Amino acid sequence: MIIAIVGFSIALPRLYRMAFDKPVRAPFIQYSCIEKNFLIIRRSADGIKRETPQGKAFTRDEYEAALPFMYARQLLMDGTMPDSVNGVAIDVHECNNYRSSFRLKPKMIHAPQPVLFPMFESESGRARLELPKDYFRISWRMEFIDAKTNKVNEEKSRLFSAALYHCGFQFPARSIDGLPTTRKSCDEGYIVTDNKNQIFHLKMVKGEPFVNKVNIPSDMTFKTIQCVDNKDKLYYAFLVSSDNNLYVLTQDDYKLVKLEVNDINPDKYEIRIYGDFFNFNVITTGDNFTRSQILNREYKKVDEYSETWTPLEDSREGKIAQVLFPAQLAMTNSDSGYVNFFVSRSKSFGCLLLSLALVVLQFFIIRKRKNKVNHILDFCLVAFTGIFGFIAVNIFPNKFWD
Amino acid sequence: MNAIECKNLTHYYGKKLVYEHLNFNVKEGSILGLLGKNGAGKTTTINILNGFLQPRSGQCLIYGENTQQLSPENKARIGFLIEGHIQYAFMNIHQIERFYSGFYKKWNNEPYWELMAKLKVTPTQKISTMSCGQRSQVALGLILAQDPDLLILDDFSMGLDPGYRRLFIDYLREYAKAKNKTIFTTSHIIQDMERLIDDVLIMDYNRVLAQRDVNEFINEFKQFYFELENLDIDLSNENFVANFEKVHDKVELYTYESEDFVQHYLAANGIAYKNFQKVDMGLEDAFIGLTGKY
Amino acid sequence: MWKSIVYKEWLKTRWFAIIYLLLSILAIANLFLKVQHDLTFNEAQKYWYMVVFQNLKYFKHGFFIVLPLLGALTIAVAQYFPETVSKRIKLSYHLPLNENKMLLTMMLYGTICILIISVVTFLLFVGLSFIWFPAEIVTGAAITIAPYFLSGFAVYFLTALMVLEPVWKYRFLYLIVAAIFVPVYFTRVVIGGYLPALPLLTVFTVILSISLLFSGYRFRKGEM
Repeated sequence: MIIAIVGFSIALPRLYRMAFDKPVRAPFIQYSCIEKNFLIIRRSADGIKRETPQGKAFTRDEYEAALPFMYARQLLMDGTMPDSVNGVAIDVHECNNYRSSFRLKPKMIHAPQPVLFPMFESESGRARLELPKDYFRISWRMEFIDAKTNKVNEEKSRLFSAALYHCGFQFPARSIDGLPTTRKSCDEGYIVTDNKNQIFHLKMVKGEPFVNKVNIPSDMTFKTIQCVDNKDKLYYAFLVSSDNNLYVLTQDDYKLVKLEVNDINPDKYEIRIYGDFFNFNVITTGDNFTRSQILNREYKKVDEYSETWTPLEDSREGKIAQVLFPAQLAMTNSDSGYVNFFVSRSKSFGCLLLSLALVVLQFFIIRKRKNKVNHILDFCLVAFTGIFGFIAVNIFPNKFWD
Repeated sequence: MNAIECKNLTHYYGKKLVYEHLNFNVKEGSILGLLGKNGAGKTTTINILNGFLQPRSGQCLIYGENTQQLSPENKARIGFLIEGHIQYAFMNIHQIERFYSGFYKKWNNEPYWELMAKLKVTPTQKISTMSCGQRSQVALGLILAQDPDLLILDDFSMGLDPGYRRLFIDYLREYAKAKNKTIFTTSHIIQDMERLIDDVLIMDYNRVLAQRDVNEFINEFKQFYFELENLDIDLSNENFVANFEKVHDKVELYTYESEDFVQHYLAANGIAYKNFQKVDMGLEDAFIGLTGKY
Repeated sequence: MWKSIVYKEWLKTRWFAIIYLLLSILAIANLFLKVQHDLTFNEAQKYWYMVVFQNLKYFKHGFFIVLPLLGALTIAVAQYFPETVSKRIKLSYHLPLNENKMLLTMMLYGTICILIISVVTFLLFVGLSFIWFPAEIVTGAAITIAPYFLSGFAVYFLTALMVLEPVWKYRFLYLIVAAIFVPVYFTRVVIGGYLPALPLLTVFTVILSISLLFSGYRFRKGEM
C-alpha cells in the first residue's frame, strides 16, 4: 500500500500539471548604453512588447537602434549603424570582440559532472583544434588513458603528475573545469581545484605540462567555476564563491577580480552574463523574479533593475494544487540533473481540511462494515496522506485485521 | 474424542443464506458422509474445514484446533482430496511422489506405487496428460501414502468408473477401520456412500435434514406406497410427513413414523386408499425421498 | 520440507529461467559486439567523447534494457500461474507448513533466481565494459542500468501479487498501481543521474516483496 501512495503522489500531481500548467515567460531585461536605461522584452500570448521600466514603448526598430552592439548585424544591414556611441568612435569589428554571452542553469551544476577530459594541445600550430587520442583523470595522480587501448599512458601520466606535484597540488582533484570541445577559438586548458581548494591552471603546451597556481585567499571556496572562450580574451573563467559573489580570473596574470554584483546564487537562479563594448549585464532569474545588474567594463556597478511575478505555486492553479495534494512527488526537478524522489510539501492549510473531509468520507464508505475499530490505521493514513491515501486505502481491501 | 467439531456454523454468500447454526461432530474412527443437492453447502463446509473460507459466524475444530489457524502438526494428520482430484499437473508420478514425501514423516510409498503399477502410464508422463480416472488414482494414492489420521474427501468418486469405485470403497473402508482412521466425505454417487459410511449428514438449502447413524436412518426412514381414491388429498404439510409425492393417484409417502401410525392416520381422517405397501429403500432412495426429486 | 517447495518451484520454472539466462548472455554479447564495431568504425576518442560529454548510452542496444523486466515477468507468471489454475494453491496451503512461510519461500525462490541471473548479467556487463572503457565510464553505465534490474524485482513482486489475487476487480486495480509505479524505474536522465534515487528505490523494491502475502491471506479468507 505504501507503494501505491508513493505512486499516486507522483502520478496525480503530474497529471494535474499537465492539464493546468501555464508557461511562465520571464521578461528579458537589457541595458541600453544610449538611453542609459533598461529595455525589457515581454513575451506573452498577445505578442511581444518592448518597453522601459517606466512604461515607454518602443517599436522593434527603435528597440534595436537603442541596442547597437546587440543588433549590430541588423543595423549594418539596414545601414543605420552609428559611427559613434556616447562620444566614442566605433569600429564594428573591434566591437565584436567585446561581445560575450554566458548562461548557467542550476541543472548544469546539480548533475553528474564528467570526470574524464581531453587534454588538447594548446599550441599545435594548426588552425583547428583536434581531439586528442587520450583522456585524463586526476585522482591520486594524473592519468592519461588511451581511448583505443583503454590503457594508461605511464610516461605522460608521470610527467604531468610530477608537474602538478611540484606546484603544490594536493591530489585528488575536487573539480576540473574547462571547455572540452573542439569548437572554441583556442585552447586554454583547464582550471583545476585540488583537494585543499587551491586553484591551478593546467594545460599542455607542445606536449609539455603547463601548471600555474592561482593565488586566492586561503579560506575561499567556489560553488562553481565556468570557463569561457570570449573574443576579448580578458579572463579565463567566471567563478562564483560560496558566499554568492561573482569573480573573473584574468588572463595571463591570474588575478581574481570581484564584480560588483551580489546575490549570485547558481544553485537556485539561472545566471546570464552579457558583455558589450561599454557594459556587462548580469541577469539572475529565479522562480518569481528576474534581476539585472549593470556593470561598466571595470566591473563597477552602474545600475540595477528587477521585477517580480507570482510564482507557479501562488497562481490560482498552484493554490488549488496545494489544497488537493499534501505533498507532491516528482522524479525529476527543473533545478537538478539527477533523478531522486523530490518532495515539495504543501504550504496551505486547506489540504488539512481536505484530509479531514476525506476521513469523514471514508468513514461513510465503511459504515456498513463490521469492525470499525480496525480501520483506525486506514483513517490515520488518509489523514496524513490526503487524497493519495484515500485512493490507496480503497484499492487495497483491508482484511488483515478482520 | 471428536476428530471434527463444528458449532453454530452460519454462512452467507453475499445476502444469500447457505445455512445457519449448523452443528455436527465426527468421532475419531468413524466415517461421515455429507450428502446434499448441488448448492446445499457441501463445498462450503469442506472449504471451512480446510481453512479456505471464514464462516460468517461459528467455528470448526479439528483435533481441538480452530480450522482457520491449523498448525502444521495438525495439517500433517489431515489428508485432503480436492473436488476433481486436482493436483499439480505439471509433474509426473515420480516427481509428485518426491515432492510430497518431503513433507510427511510417516510417508509410506508402498500403497502409492501399488496403485501406480496398475496405471498404464509412462514414467515421465505429466499428470496433465492423464485421463480423469488415472488422475484420481494418483490423487488417492498420494493420500494413502501420507497415512493421515483424518481424511477429508470432496467427491472422491468423480470420474471413476464403477470397477474402481468399488475397489476404492472397499479398500478405504478396510483401511479406515483397520487403522482407526476418520473419514469425512462427500459424494454424488450415493450407492457408494452406502457401502462406506457410518454416519450420514443430509443437507438441503438452509438446513440440515438428517444427522445420524446411516443404518438407523435407513431403518427408520420409510417409504409407503398407496393409491388414493380422492385425488385432491395433499398431506405434505402434516408434521409426520417428511415428503409427499403424488403422481395422479399414486402416492409415495416418506416418514419416520411406523406403518401402523400411517394407516391409523389415514383411517382416522377418512382417507380411502388401496394397495398400501411399505417400500424398501436404499440410501439413494432415502436421500431422494428426503430431499425431493427436482 | 522446504527443499520440496524449492523442488516444485524449480520444476515449474526451470526452462524459463534457463532461457532467460541464455537470452541475457546473448543480449550482452550482442551489445558488446556492437560496441566493438562502433569503436572500430569511429575513432575511439570520438566514441568516448560521445559517451562522456554527449550522453551516449552505449548499452541502449537491442532489448537489453527491457530484458530484466520481461525476464522477471516470465518467471513470475511461470511460477504463480499454475497455482491459480483450478485454485491449485490450495494444495500448498494444505501442506503441513505455515502458509505465510510457504508463500515467502516461493517468493524467495523466484527472487533468488532473478537475483542470480541479474548478478551474472550485471557482472558480465561490467567486466566486458572494463575491457574497452575506463572506470568512470563503467561506473556511470552501471548506475544507469541498475534501475532496470531493480525494475525486474519490482515487476516480479507485483506480478505475484496480481496473479495470486482471487478477485478480478482487485487484480485490475493492482495493475493500475503497478502501471503507475514501474515507470519510476525508467525516468529519462543523463548517465549517472539516478544515483541519489537508488537507495530509496531499492528500499521501495524490497518493501514490495512481501506484498504477495496479502493476496494469499485474502484467498484463505474465502474471497471469490
